[in-house]
Amino acid sequence: MEILKHTDEHLKFRERLRAFLEKEVTPYVEEWEKTGVVPKAVWKKMGEAGFLCTDIPQVYGGMGGDFLYSVIVTEELVHTRHTGLTAPLHSDIVVPYIAAFGSEELKRKYLPGCVSGEIVTAIAMTEPSVGSDLASMSTTAVDDGDHVVINGEKTYISNGINCDLLVLAAKDPSVEDPYRAIDLYLVEAETRGFEKSKRLSKLGWHSQDTAELLFKDCRVPKANRLGMKGGGFLMLMEKLQQERLMCAIMAVAAAEKMLDMTIHFCKEQHDFGRPLSKFQGNQFKIVDMATEVRLGRTFLEKLIADHMEGKAIVVEASMAKSWTTEMASRVADGCMDLYGSRSCVEEYPIARFWRDVRVMSIFAGTNEIMRGIVAKFMGL
Amino acid sequence: MDFNLTQEQRDIQKAAQEFAKGEFDSDLILELDKNQQFPLSMLKKAGDLGFLGVHYPEAFGGQGLGVLDNALIMEAFCRQDSGLGSALGLSDFGSEMLLDRGREDQLDTVLPDVARGERVLTAALLEDGYSLAPLQTRVVRDGEGYRIDGLKSFVPFGDFARHMIIVCQAGDQDPYTQTAFLLQRETTGVEITPVGQKVGMRMIPLSHVALKDVKVSLENAIGPEMKAHALLRGFLDKARIEAGAMGVGIAQGALDLAMDYSKKREQFGRAIVSFDAIRNKLANMCVDLEMARLMVYKAAWSVDCGKPDRRCILMSKAVGASAALTATNDALQIYGGYGYMTEGQIEHFYRDAKALSLFLEPMQTQKNLLADEMVGRT
Repeated sequence: MEILKHTDEHLKFRERLRAFLEKEVTPYVEEWEKTGVVPKAVWKKMGEAGFLCTDIPQVYGGMGGDFLYSVIVTEELVHTRHTGLTAPLHSDIVVPYIAAFGSEELKRKYLPGCVSGEIVTAIAMTEPSVGSDLASMSTTAVDDGDHVVINGEKTYISNGINCDLLVLAAKDPSVEDPYRAIDLYLVEAETRGFEKSKRLSKLGWHSQDTAELLFKDCRVPKANRLGMKGGGFLMLMEKLQQERLMCAIMAVAAAEKMLDMTIHFCKEQHDFGRPLSKFQGNQFKIVDMATEVRLGRTFLEKLIADHMEGKAIVVEASMAKSWTTEMASRVADGCMDLYGSRSCVEEYPIARFWRDVRVMSIFAGTNEIMRGIVAKFMGL
Repeated sequence: MDFNLTQEQRDIQKAAQEFAKGEFDSDLILELDKNQQFPLSMLKKAGDLGFLGVHYPEAFGGQGLGVLDNALIMEAFCRQDSGLGSALGLSDFGSEMLLDRGREDQLDTVLPDVARGERVLTAALLEDGYSLAPLQTRVVRDGEGYRIDGLKSFVPFGDFARHMIIVCQAGDQDPYTQTAFLLQRETTGVEITPVGQKVGMRMIPLSHVALKDVKVSLENAIGPEMKAHALLRGFLDKARIEAGAMGVGIAQGALDLAMDYSKKREQFGRAIVSFDAIRNKLANMCVDLEMARLMVYKAAWSVDCGKPDRRCILMSKAVGASAALTATNDALQIYGGYGYMTEGQIEHFYRDAKALSLFLEPMQTQKNLLADEMVGRT
């Protein structure tokens, strides 16, 4: 029995998307890995072809699709062997804040652009000295008539260079309770006092523009606040469920892809006069990895189904995020070992996967934070 | 039984640590890593101060010390920096084959320059896979002399090395009938192609070496003709110990960084070192590291005593590299987002640890060899 029910529409969508990615993305990946950023024109093409923000209702320009479309986009992107075109971050992590908490005016103003790819989004929570402990952030939004004035520094922001619109978490210094002090504001890239300061070089995700963002007396209209005043922390907590689920989808899809590549390699490559796949030691290693991948897939699909039914899966999503991302790293390690010395040469795509998957145990809440959440919910 | 290093060994260790601390500039390291550049000026400095080839006889530029002394230096270098340390450490790759069976004039041509950090030596061993007997690179008689044809893979330094040792298949009957030759880089028919961008140990150039109709004479051979497989085995054992020591150094370096960072970094109003999750990671790193260190030191010591403990030697690279990999992985996690960034330094320790674990042979190969040693070949 299949856990997730893919309709013909879903299957056709997947085929269209795969053809699109093969034509518009895969041939350029090596170049983007070098330049460190995916050209904005590609985001636009993807939007125009209907592959961004598939869940946004038609009235705002979207197709009003279910969450399975998001799953399909995330899975298919893995086959492009790069992470720069982070459509899931835009479509399924950032834009949902606007769709769920934005005023009607904000939604009409921004959502059509998010769908068409005219607007690329990012979300800024982390600061140089604030990661896991979100409530202690120091970026401030000070009340000033119709505006708030923002000062502070955010870092490790994905889509940081490309973003046209930012969901920014900042704190009202006049509110004492740190959990009630945080608000989310939409900040346009052109706003004075908002500077994209530095693109960061990193272990993996080379085609992804991760950046530091600076705010100096940056005036943002109060009307750009999402939701009720003081609701930022709760909004983040609510939406992080889907963000963590997205990580698990990415992790499982990446593990499947790495394993496929490696099995293919082991069947083709000979050593000591036999294909690598004919050595029992290698076979058992592959079987163990395949078992882990299947366990991950089964758990994940159950969670996707629950999520689509609107169930609260905070605990399971946290478990899935930490387990699947660590599983992906284990698989990456095992695949590298099977490739042997070759895997140390970037020409072999397994090397990039190995570098890329490592961040998943860190972003969207470190796996230590995931375990902490689960422990709390278990009443420990 | 005495687990203590001698006073002399402690002095060497301390001197190497101080040298590395003082000279290994972190900006320079990021630059060299990014550009895949060999640390030439640093090699010279290390050579001038006598840190290279300490286990060579004094007559050939060394200090007549042991394998353990050399291991201590490599550990200290890699502790300070995984990339720079491993590049310096492998700059005499293959020298143990010369020390083992080379003629005096061969040693004299190569080793003193290598020990001074003026030249780099390499050995071309691997081919398409890890099988070392039989080899596909063949040497055959050709008139008065000999001719080599073949393709060697993942040769460290490649173009950079002045001399290169090539191990060739010399007979069909027995897979172990092999001959080793010492060649100059400029020899006609030697074609070197860099492998391109690498995941780790990026300061060490890595190349494929094509040998086409390379004319050699027995003058170039190291040791007796047809007997080089034992030479190769002996060398690999020394290389495993050295690589194990590098792994121990990388693991120690990662632990140093993780301890420093977790004391400084505050979240939830306290230094993260106060959380059990972090403390457990630090403790686990320490366990792996100390086990690996004991194993590597014992392996080196056994060689210096003249009674090589082959099991211990076969395990030393596996445990050293494995300690390096888990320690750098945990350190990266402790660093969090900063750990994933180049400027955090730890990410290149992580890449270098993985590259080290795959260098020469993957862990599986060592386990296979160890099992052969334990229960015989089947």
